[in-house]
Amino acid sequence: MINGILTFYSGLLNGLVEVWAHKFRSLLSMMGIILGVAALVAMVGVVRGMIGEVRDYFERTGGITRLQVESREPPDEQSHIAHLSPGMTFRDVEAIQAGGTLIDLIDPEVSLGWRRYTYAGQSEHAPLQGVMPDRRERLQLQMREGRYIGDLDVEWASPVIVLGGWLGDLFFPNGGAVGQKIHVHGQTFRVIGVLENLGGPESRGWFQRQNRICYIPITAAMKRFSGDDRLSNLSVRVAEVAFLDDALAQMENILIQTHRGIEDFAVSTMEEQLEEFRRMERTFTFALGGVAGISLLVGGIGIMNVMLAVINERIREIGVRKAVGARGSDIFIQFLAEAVVISVVGGLIGMMASVGFVVFIREVIDVEQFRIALSPPAMVAGFLFSAVIGIASGIYPAVRAARMNVIDALRYE
Amino acid sequence: MALVEFENLSKIYRMGEETVRALDGVELRIEPGDFAAILGPSGSGKSTLMHILGFMDSPTSGQLRFEGREVSGIGRARRAWYRANRIGFVFQAFNLLPRLSVADNVQLPIVYSRSRIADRRKRALVALDRVGMTHRAKHVPSQLSGGERQRAAIARAIVNNPSLILADEPTGNLDSQNVVRIMDLFTELAREGQTLVVVTHDEQVAAYARRTIRMRDGRVIEDTVNGV
Repeated sequence: MINGILTFYSGLLNGLVEVWAHKFRSLLSMMGIILGVAALVAMVGVVRGMIGEVRDYFERTGGITRLQVESREPPDEQSHIAHLSPGMTFRDVEAIQAGGTLIDLIDPEVSLGWRRYTYAGQSEHAPLQGVMPDRRERLQLQMREGRYIGDLDVEWASPVIVLGGWLGDLFFPNGGAVGQKIHVHGQTFRVIGVLENLGGPESRGWFQRQNRICYIPITAAMKRFSGDDRLSNLSVRVAEVAFLDDALAQMENILIQTHRGIEDFAVSTMEEQLEEFRRMERTFTFALGGVAGISLLVGGIGIMNVMLAVINERIREIGVRKAVGARGSDIFIQFLAEAVVISVVGGLIGMMASVGFVVFIREVIDVEQFRIALSPPAMVAGFLFSAVIGIASGIYPAVRAARMNVIDALRYE
Repeated sequence: MALVEFENLSKIYRMGEETVRALDGVELRIEPGDFAAILGPSGSGKSTLMHILGFMDSPTSGQLRFEGREVSGIGRARRAWYRANRIGFVFQAFNLLPRLSVADNVQLPIVYSRSRIADRRKRALVALDRVGMTHRAKHVPSQLSGGERQRAAIARAIVNNPSLILADEPTGNLDSQNVVRIMDLFTELAREGQTLVVVTHDEQVAAYARRTIRMRDGRVIEDTVNGV
């Protein structure tokens, strides 16, 4: 056993010498492993970034307990009376507040698009939304300064505004925003609070978009901008996941009344999105695993091929080693170690290449969209894979070398 | 006790339909301290005899005793052990590994002998000193002349203090000056008590040995002590 380990160790050293002696050939034989490992690590980074983005969004918007009301075309038999429905309006909110016993949070939204904000001669554009106090809890928004929109602001349609962290930084880099008057599209609003930036100062993707939004009371939005009581979005949160189906039925019952029996809306759960998300994750995992698996397989075949060639070249050496006392197992371990050296060195180069890959992808793909990260577990996995491939592809050539007859091997020219 | 005893030893090869009797009932004893030359034309069975003597092959029938022990039926691993611990080989083509230094080449039999020897390097240098090659220890074989390579190979053969050194046409690739040097080296080793068997077809080389064994058609046809 100890002897086997020693032989393997000296085989590793010997393998390094051989790899170094044939640099170009070694590099060629490592190519498959290098690409396989680099592809594996880089792709895991990309997919992790994308899935992480979706997961963040999903979790920050209420997760599985969220129900979303969406407008849709009424069924054909109702199309002639579709105009009787008021559509998705603030009356829906009031009805849910009155009858939605399984709902613990209502978050309607009047989206006013991008607006121009002016303060002290400085102008910036940012999205503006009319919301109710529950928005803060649903997105777990933190205040950097001041307070969020309250019930009285909604009731009185007060001309008050909560600035997103991004605009707060621009207009009030030193704080002191509360109480200041700013102009939004020609109307004056009093700043009551500034939000903390979500996802840290270097936020990207969904977080970055979120940090630009400024909020005013939903009633103020309807009175001062949209002029009617239509909603752009309506989300609610179910008090208990266990009551999700009941809450869904309750919501539909309430809304069918406010919509005068016209089914021009749909209440959807996040389960569908979640399922979609899981399917995406699975698809990526399999596609990724397939690509990495095939390239590692090809890498393994490449190494096996090279090892068979190497053994043919070194039949004489095998004969000499056996003549001076090497057993079949010594020869087996020596050539196995050499295959492992090739694949492990290839794996290490592949890991280094993957770092370059990731940097390259970061440059090419819009940084705003993805957070691509090198994942240490993927790097370790890639490395272990390369070692396993080395062993697997080295076994057959090593067995052939070990079985060689000493007299024939010595005679070989 | 004889070092090696062949008793009615035969080796039969099957080549398709034909059977070849490479060795045909050989009777032979090698005593400790012998310096023997085996002579014979090609096809006489001298190579087969050497392979069996060197534990690279096993006989088809007959008895083979090494240091008094019956070894005709032992397996591959056991034969490898004998090659590492009891036999030293010298080849016509030197057979040094090109990527290893001379010292590393000389150490190979110690590596494979499985005895726990910490001072491998020291023993390799002692062996190199006996063949006058200490100054070349760190060179690789391609930097050496033919004669130097063969001396390094002899160092490798003696490094484990083998019971028997087998040399297969050791001077076949050397010029006449180096033939003399190598054969002088063998003679000196023999004087120190080393058992040596040299396989050759060169009468002049055989003349260095104390004993001449002639073979033909797989049999020993003459076995004489030189100078008697």
